[in-house]
Amino acid sequence: MYRYDEFDSRLVAERIEQFSDQVARRLDGRLTEDQFKPLRLMNGVYLQLHAYMLRVAIPYGELNAARLRALADIARRYDKGYGHFTTRTNIQFNWPALVDVPHILKDLARVEMHAIQTSGNCIRNVTTDALAGIAADEVEDPRPWCELIRQWSTFHPEFTFLPRKFKIAVIGAPKDRAAMRTHDIGLEIVRDDTGALGFRLFVGGGQGRLPHIASELKSFIPAEELFAWLTATLRVYNRHGRRDNIHKARIKILVASLGLDAFRAEVEEAFAALPKAPLAVPEAEVERIKAYFAPRPYAAAPPRFAAFDRALMTDPAFARWTRNNLRPHKQPGYAAVVISLKPVGGVPGDATAEQMDRVADLAERFSFDQVRVTYEQNLLLPHVAMDDLPELHAALGRAGLAEANAGLAADIISCPGLDYCSLANARSIPVAQALSERLSDPVFQDAVGEVRINISGCINACGHHHVGHIGILGVDKQGEEFYQITLGGSPDETASIGQIVGKGLPGEAVAPAIERVLKAYLARRDAGERFIDTLRRLGADPFKEAIYEAA
Amino acid sequence: MKILTANRLADGAVVWLALGGRWSTEFEDAVRLDPEPAAAALAQAEAQPGRFVAPYLIEADAAGVERRERLRESIRADGPTAGHSLENV
Amino acid sequence: MRLLEAGERFGADLPEIGLDELAGSNAIVALRAGGETEAAPILAARERIGRLVVAFSGFKDGRGFSLAAILREGGFQGELIATGDLIPDHAPMLARCGFDAAELPVGASVEDWRRALGSFSAAYQPAADHAATVWARRGAPLKAQVEALNAELRDAPASEIVQAALTRFPGRVAVLSSFGAEAAVGLHLVAEQDASVPVLFLDTDRHFIPTLDYRDQLTERLGLTDVRSLRPVEAETHDPKGDLWRSNPDACCDLRKVKPLASVRPDFDVLITGRKRIHGGTRLRLPPFELVEGQIRVNPLANWSTDEIEAYFDANTLPRHPLTQGGYRSIGCWPCTQPSSEDEDARAGRWKGLDKTECGIHMPSRWVAEEIARRAS
Repeated sequence: MYRYDEFDSRLVAERIEQFSDQVARRLDGRLTEDQFKPLRLMNGVYLQLHAYMLRVAIPYGELNAARLRALADIARRYDKGYGHFTTRTNIQFNWPALVDVPHILKDLARVEMHAIQTSGNCIRNVTTDALAGIAADEVEDPRPWCELIRQWSTFHPEFTFLPRKFKIAVIGAPKDRAAMRTHDIGLEIVRDDTGALGFRLFVGGGQGRLPHIASELKSFIPAEELFAWLTATLRVYNRHGRRDNIHKARIKILVASLGLDAFRAEVEEAFAALPKAPLAVPEAEVERIKAYFAPRPYAAAPPRFAAFDRALMTDPAFARWTRNNLRPHKQPGYAAVVISLKPVGGVPGDATAEQMDRVADLAERFSFDQVRVTYEQNLLLPHVAMDDLPELHAALGRAGLAEANAGLAADIISCPGLDYCSLANARSIPVAQALSERLSDPVFQDAVGEVRINISGCINACGHHHVGHIGILGVDKQGEEFYQITLGGSPDETASIGQIVGKGLPGEAVAPAIERVLKAYLARRDAGERFIDTLRRLGADPFKEAIYEAA
Repeated sequence: MKILTANRLADGAVVWLALGGRWSTEFEDAVRLDPEPAAAALAQAEAQPGRFVAPYLIEADAAGVERRERLRESIRADGPTAGHSLENV
Repeated sequence: MRLLEAGERFGADLPEIGLDELAGSNAIVALRAGGETEAAPILAARERIGRLVVAFSGFKDGRGFSLAAILREGGFQGELIATGDLIPDHAPMLARCGFDAAELPVGASVEDWRRALGSFSAAYQPAADHAATVWARRGAPLKAQVEALNAELRDAPASEIVQAALTRFPGRVAVLSSFGAEAAVGLHLVAEQDASVPVLFLDTDRHFIPTLDYRDQLTERLGLTDVRSLRPVEAETHDPKGDLWRSNPDACCDLRKVKPLASVRPDFDVLITGRKRIHGGTRLRLPPFELVEGQIRVNPLANWSTDEIEAYFDANTLPRHPLTQGGYRSIGCWPCTQPSSEDEDARAGRWKGLDKTECGIHMPSRWVAEEIARRAS
């Protein structure tokens, strides 16, 4: 994990000073709310329905025990004892007082964390594959590049007042586990024919009212030109992106309105005009950062996994959990473990302070002091020895964290919805809860297998409903909540936007309708087909019928 | 009739204008205003940016908030309808 | 960047014109343009524009930042002045994007602007102000810090050197200990100040049993709360018969010491060692602070004599390593450690009979490679 040096620490400390000053100026009237709002947003402070909300950055999802404990401590001291992990692998606290935020930021700085650029029309927290450095299909670990982009984008003087927010994801493998193509800029690490390292550059992804899947802008940019291409792309956007209509201000609209080729020509022209030497990726810095992500001192795999095998034979709950929640690790004898934050009837992505503390303990004991936040709003222990798994599973069970549903139907992505969010039109959490209870039968869930169900409480799509295999969008009709169902979205390397199937359903009708869709899939699937495969083969009609069957 | 509401600047708490120009954190205390005094009260709140953020008027009658905004306003008044805060308030 | 109060003029007066009049003018002029203005026509006429006033039409409209950056990169050398809907928090960005001055809005506080301008003492990314980036400043200052620490503390008592390391790099310091013949002294010095500092012990699987006992004994006696034993990774693969030390001691040290230590490199910027000049060999010129591959090594005992070490043991009634009774004055792994006589260097018993004096954990990898090449030739 990356650790701050004196510069990182000092810049975060200076940011806290600056923000404390901004809060003071707001309180004594030197800043109006209009002026203060973009400044507080750039420090992650929103005003929600009930209170302020603070979004803390978890750069590319990496945590250690100390950081997780600090988050738990903030939840207890300044909030109501819990936090909400998001699809951008950040954490949100729902109840902090504005006057407490500078203190919270100081607590965060002590463990090398911050809330910088977690909102606002600037470059947001960079995200990546939760299996970075673990996955066998990886060309290179993307995390050092994420850290480099984090630094490059922090307080970027030119790109802090963009037309709209700007999200970047970096993946290191052809398999996309980070919804890379839903980002304003997506980067995939690749090697060219000569073996040189570089990136495929995607641009113009985004969700919201007008969803777009990112298009390939360049099939290969050399690694050392990364900042020059990012600068050129952002510059074209900053100069020409729309500022008159908030719904048309993202780069996706600029790319779509100019056309990809014309946009590319603009970027290439901007690139050509840039001074290359100062923007060249500093090699020594890359090497310095890479050292922080060196493989952990793994133990050699034993000839057989005695404890693991024994538990597999004797404990069916353990066996099911290993089937669903383990992810392969390139180091023999190790596995990555998804800690599902989707208990039956629970709030997707929420964790209590006590649970954060327990996970911190377990990370120290079993995973080289490392924890990650995943795109699916779960946690992940990246490096657990196979024979430690039974003990880990038991400990997770005691903390209420052993739900064996990772990647299954009840592993629902959900935004906070109208229960918290001032932008929402409808509630998300109760729908997620009802669905999670409806689908709680493990036999049914296991039979259905891999399916992505995503819920957003408004068209801003924080719950990624557009790229759910099944998406649920809350809408408001004259003060009544209705939910539109979309089918066929996908967040991975075969990314697609789901299509609305028809008129919205009242909240209580959603869970039964989704269950019927999944049963329709079970009835129609060919051998080996996942839900999305069957849906793509048959089209939406049979599933649409299932949704409206009872109506 | 209208109700005047806002968030408190320092801590973000939801407040409603109550009797006698007092501001309350309880929806039950909210006073119903005729359009003219409501507009005046809103202007007065807007003139105190050091105390309030985003003050606005809600359509309401004696029975409560009008249907269109009822859900949102009930959540503002009573807190989230689901989740951890229910156990922790 | 200069801060101009509203209405204050900037420098010599120039006739001010609009962009549309520029083509007809040959004079050096001042131009006023919105942040959205295209850069190309301005750059085309850049020789004739002595001053460009860029008006920001809304404080959330960042186009003026890019305009300034493009103009500076394109060789625009005239004065660049920002005006319009600006807030103090824009100040550092304006300066970095190449503005010479900002005209403050009516009623703005110069004091707020001045403070905002100085918000940050460093910047990661390159920009039009050509300030040295954090990336460029990294590495260089560490070297300078080491030099300054040496100048300040070369002759300081060991306790002060330890204190400097612990207080100036909080949370980033570990102690590297062999739990060998003299290890108790350094560990005691650290534990006196903070017994929770991580202590790294390279458990090579080849230690004398008494060394492991001594480790546990000292841990308890000094109250050390975070002793970490670093074990070799995949020793079974690289040294299946366990006799690599016989055929290739360098590779064995690499497997059992250098690599395990490298695995925790990201966790610590500073390592406190127990090395001393009296050990001889390559350690004769040892300073209290060194930079080894971007990591600071602190040698608080660098200039201690054998007598001083003995006196410290006695004064603090520290337990002795059991093997010191048998003439072992420097203790490593059992296959490569022998007693040394009084007339030899203390470390003469290490890798005895071989042209090898260091395992490699205290040398930059480059040196190790060179050293191996030298011996091979």
